[in-house]
Amino acid sequence: MTAAVSPARIIDGREMQPPEPLEKTLEALDGLPRGEELLLLLYCHPLPLFNILRNHGFVWQEDILDDGTHEIRIRHG
Amino acid sequence: MHPDLSFDQAPPIDVPFRFFLTAPLFGIAAGLLLAIVGGEMFASRWMPPALAGTHLLVLGFMLQAMCGALLQFLPVAAGANIWRPRWVAGVVHPLLAVSAVLLVTAFLSQRSGLFLAAAIGLALGLGLFAVVTGIALWRTPARGATVMALRLALLGLVATLSLGILLATGLARGSDWPLLALTDLHAAWGLGGWALILLAGVSYYVVPMFQLTPAYPARLARSLPLLLLAVLAGWSLTFDPGAAGRQQVAFIGGVAVSSAYAVSTLRLQQRRRRKVSDATFLFFRVAMLALLGVFVSALAITLLPALQNEPRGAVWIGLLAIVGVFVSAINGMLYKIVPFLNWLHLQNLCGMRAMPPTMHQMIPERRMRGQFYLHLAALGMLLAAVWWPLLARPAGLLFAASCAWLGYNLLGAVGVYRAFKTRIRADASDRRS
Repeated sequence: MTAAVSPARIIDGREMQPPEPLEKTLEALDGLPRGEELLLLLYCHPLPLFNILRNHGFVWQEDILDDGTHEIRIRHG
Repeated sequence: MHPDLSFDQAPPIDVPFRFFLTAPLFGIAAGLLLAIVGGEMFASRWMPPALAGTHLLVLGFMLQAMCGALLQFLPVAAGANIWRPRWVAGVVHPLLAVSAVLLVTAFLSQRSGLFLAAAIGLALGLGLFAVVTGIALWRTPARGATVMALRLALLGLVATLSLGILLATGLARGSDWPLLALTDLHAAWGLGGWALILLAGVSYYVVPMFQLTPAYPARLARSLPLLLLAVLAGWSLTFDPGAAGRQQVAFIGGVAVSSAYAVSTLRLQQRRRRKVSDATFLFFRVAMLALLGVFVSALAITLLPALQNEPRGAVWIGLLAIVGVFVSAINGMLYKIVPFLNWLHLQNLCGMRAMPPTMHQMIPERRMRGQFYLHLAALGMLLAAVWWPLLARPAGLLFAASCAWLGYNLLGAVGVYRAFKTRIRADASDRRS
């Protein structure tokens, strides 16, 4: 599933300490062009991030893989 | 994988912070008390200054930090919403602080009125805390090992409080109750039934999250609090002040169960996905090694005739448990919780307009690590001072300095929070004008 997203827009937060994945995601979203996606990989369901995304007009899709990875695809709404 | 974290229900940041910032002050007081009294304080745990110092740490340092953490943790991690958290904190926090001072003064002055006043204050403060958190935990739809552990820990707190009130009343009235045996039970409930079960329940959540370890084994996570509570309930229900052997079996059993938690945490730390050894990791490692040390020491004191009648043995175990296990673990946890809460609250305030300072900017790692080494030196010297009383005064000063440094680091994080919040408000005001 990750093939559709440019490697530059993939954040693998599975080995980062909170809130580093959130910091990196927000930084990346700042420069995300319309029509493109950011892919975030985590081992959790990041509710604080979702609250921020909702408040700033982003939409996302979340898939949970067999190894427990949450694949979260984010784009402008 | 760690469970989900909800920030919608988080209480205002001052709710946990007022408790967190008070805790180090009691640690400083405990260290200074030892520096003033000296080696005599460790001659026996029944010495009034030893009882005063113990309560500065358990009521002042540990309970403040644990109550503050629970008020934050319950809604965010366990979905258990606290009724009017700011009001509850505004009542519980000063009552706990004042009652701790009253109790410590009562031990040092042996004035019966102070024991009663402390008992009333603690009954009101902790009673309110137990009711409010109990209702929240009862109503939460969340399930799992953490919620179960928190519920059982609350039972442990109520048992500890009830026995403490009984003891304070007994001391105030000069009763002929078996106060020494009751004190053992009170301490076992406080350290095992409340503090350790709470620490384990919170660890199931925060160790995988912040130390990037695999999850605790499900069977261990569920059975540990139940086994600990079963040992304590068995001890209490068959309470007999004359049956010292039975007490020893219960004590060894409880400590053996606890050591399974220590071994499991150390193994998880070995298997962490990213080999970061930050201050929290180091504090937790020391806490778990100290818990294993409690087990080995308890076995040695039970099995070696030379140690059985040595009053310093209990002081050694008490220091290892309170300073080695709990002060270390709390210290380490505060270094994650405080910057993390700062970051989340600031992020919530500024949205995507600005990026809050990073966790490492809230409290620089070198400062946390420096305080860790000071804490380690203080712990080592405190333990040595049990057998070499000349070391007691410097050990007290080292411990006071370590707690002062902890408080300074936490205050630094609060300063970063305030400065950034002021900046966000100024930016918002500029945009409006």
